Amino acid sequence: MRPAVVVLALLVPLAVAGCAADTGAPARTAERFVAAVTARQGEAACALLAARAAQKLPDKGQTCAQALVELGLREGPVVSAVVWGDEAQVRTTRDTIFLHRFGGGWRVRAAGCTPRGDDLPYDCEVES
Amino acid sequence: MKRFLKENSLSLFFLLIFALALVGQAVAGNGQYNDRQLVDGGQPISVVEYVASSDFAVDVAENWQSEYLQFLLFIVATVWLVQRGSPESKEVGREGGESDEDQMVGRHAQPESPNWATAGGWRRAVFSNSLGWVMGTIFVLSWLAQSVAGLAANNSERLAELRDPQDWGAYVIGPEFWSRTLQNWQSEFLAVASMVVLSIFLRQRGSPESKPVGAPHDATGVEG
Repeated sequence: MRPAVVVLALLVPLAVAGCAADTGAPARTAERFVAAVTARQGEAACALLAARAAQKLPDKGQTCAQALVELGLREGPVVSAVVWGDEAQVRTTRDTIFLHRFGGGWRVRAAGCTPRGDDLPYDCEVES
Repeated sequence: MKRFLKENSLSLFFLLIFALALVGQAVAGNGQYNDRQLVDGGQPISVVEYVASSDFAVDVAENWQSEYLQFLLFIVATVWLVQRGSPESKEVGREGGESDEDQMVGRHAQPESPNWATAGGWRRAVFSNSLGWVMGTIFVLSWLAQSVAGLAANNSERLAELRDPQDWGAYVIGPEFWSRTLQNWQSEFLAVASMVVLSIFLRQRGSPESKPVGAPHDATGVEG
């Protein structure tokens, strides 16, 4: 029976891999991001964007900070946060925000997102 | 020590190549994962972090469940189903659980029979089906582990695609879970069917999985 016990012991970590998740950190990053945007602190908000999102956001001749402030993202308290692996989704009362965990912490990959239904990807004003 | 190695060489060989293959899977899987991270703008992770991830867990579990299902079905199906000419099958006409005398249980037990084969009641019933129950339990737990780790890996992918995550119930009736499951099952079932049929006509000298080289094609249940 011993090999069976070993197999069962190996299955437990397999089953729980990726289950434990701290939702507090991405929720705080999302809150800080939305607060910075609504306070028109574009530089501070851009610092919380994923690098690729910050690069893609501005039009020609614009800075990331200017582009972000112009978008007019809506602030609201966080109502839910889920984390799966290195990805997170934070919902406020007025927005849905997607984040990714980098070496330096959580950064916003997409914000100003509205659902398109039918299990399609959200349509986001900021997107990486 | 030398004697131990000789007498257990088959188990030790497979445990060794299992461990080597698992390490290889971890290293190669980590490389593939980091390639994807590069494309998606994420950061590479170490092998240790990868081994603790749901991506590695689902890849391991989906293969485990299918292998244990394969052997469970082979063990249980060969109680009732036969294949004339195959060394993997009992002789035609011996289908079923067989008599106590054939199975050496109860008063037909031998002096060296396991205690639970000699005993009656629930102990004999449990021991008589213990191989199937343990393989079946490992199959179910592996499949469950696949569903949980698969849910985590799939939800991470869905969030990266800016889609809502799914709950477990939606995942296990969805195409991702069944695609992973059935792609493994079909290969296992084909391998068993091939082994049962090919061993009627082909031989591997010295292998107990084959009939003796000179055994006739229609000899059933004869192992070399």
